[in-house]
Amino acid sequence: MAFRQDTTELSEARRRIEILVGDLPRPGVGGAAADRSFEHPWELRAFAMAVAAYHNGQYEWSEFQLSLIESIRKWESDGGGEPWSYYEHWLDALETVLAGNGALSDTALDDRTRAVLSTPKSANHHEAHREPVAIDPAR
Amino acid sequence: MSTAVRTTEEIAARVKALEALMIEKGVMTTEAVDRLADIYENEVGPQLGAGVVAKAWTDPEFKARLLQNATEACAGLGIGGLQGEDMVVVENTDTVHNVITCTLCSCYPWPVLGLPPNWYKGPAYRSRIVREPRKVLSEDFGLDVPDSVEVRVWDSSSEMRYWVLPQRPAGTEGLDEKALAALVNRDSMIGTGAPKAA
Repeated sequence: MAFRQDTTELSEARRRIEILVGDLPRPGVGGAAADRSFEHPWELRAFAMAVAAYHNGQYEWSEFQLSLIESIRKWESDGGGEPWSYYEHWLDALETVLAGNGALSDTALDDRTRAVLSTPKSANHHEAHREPVAIDPAR
Repeated sequence: MSTAVRTTEEIAARVKALEALMIEKGVMTTEAVDRLADIYENEVGPQLGAGVVAKAWTDPEFKARLLQNATEACAGLGIGGLQGEDMVVVENTDTVHNVITCTLCSCYPWPVLGLPPNWYKGPAYRSRIVREPRKVLSEDFGLDVPDSVEVRVWDSSSEMRYWVLPQRPAGTEGLDEKALAALVNRDSMIGTGAPKAA
């Protein structure tokens, strides 16, 4: 798919500006984990998906941001009971905007999530394969 | 949708399911998501902003343009994109120290600073930095702003994103742009830290 202009600009910016000696900033609030942008792989994935869907023209970025603000506001007004997870709100916002424009149905996502969960991680790897998987015979 | 506390495994499965559905719909491809993840994880980062700061420290004409219109000045260096459309740079001086936050969510100038650290997005920083900025800077970040210096907290939104032009450290007169950029770290552009000493 074709990215919008800004992705190309970012790549060019990277090429043009030398990677300067990185100075890891001090940990700030909460130590090293707090200083990272992503804590789990799914967070980066959810992040990139929101940008990809935006590039695909599914919504205006401001729509996504309003949805994100609303999700966080709701969490705060509910007393912040669940443990704080920024990217859960991000995912919530993404689901909301995609459902809002008809690209996603909640039921379909729930069903597919159950399917993913019920598929063993090693679905295709739970048996030892004792023979070569391919042979290119001697000629 | 956040009706119950979900385990990491459940959330990861939901993200995977969402990606699969969106690929089937033609909204995205695996390659596009991979590429974006790579760009934002590895390529966009505070080193870009550090280069802009170093240029402003050495080029008064550029600095004037940066303070006048940060988005345009950065675009001239090939830096721009999503969440960088309306950037405003606020300058630290002998009498003013600036610090940025986003009280509503996590608005942040991605093209120059990369993605925000977790603490920037958390409720604690977002609320406390507004109520007691001097205390938060001192206690959480070890940055003691003298009483003679005013602290200004800037609230970024989707309409306008702030970032900080820190003061050039003393004793750096002989350094070139590249050496200066190496002194600029992310927190100094958020306002929760100072650049490294020369």
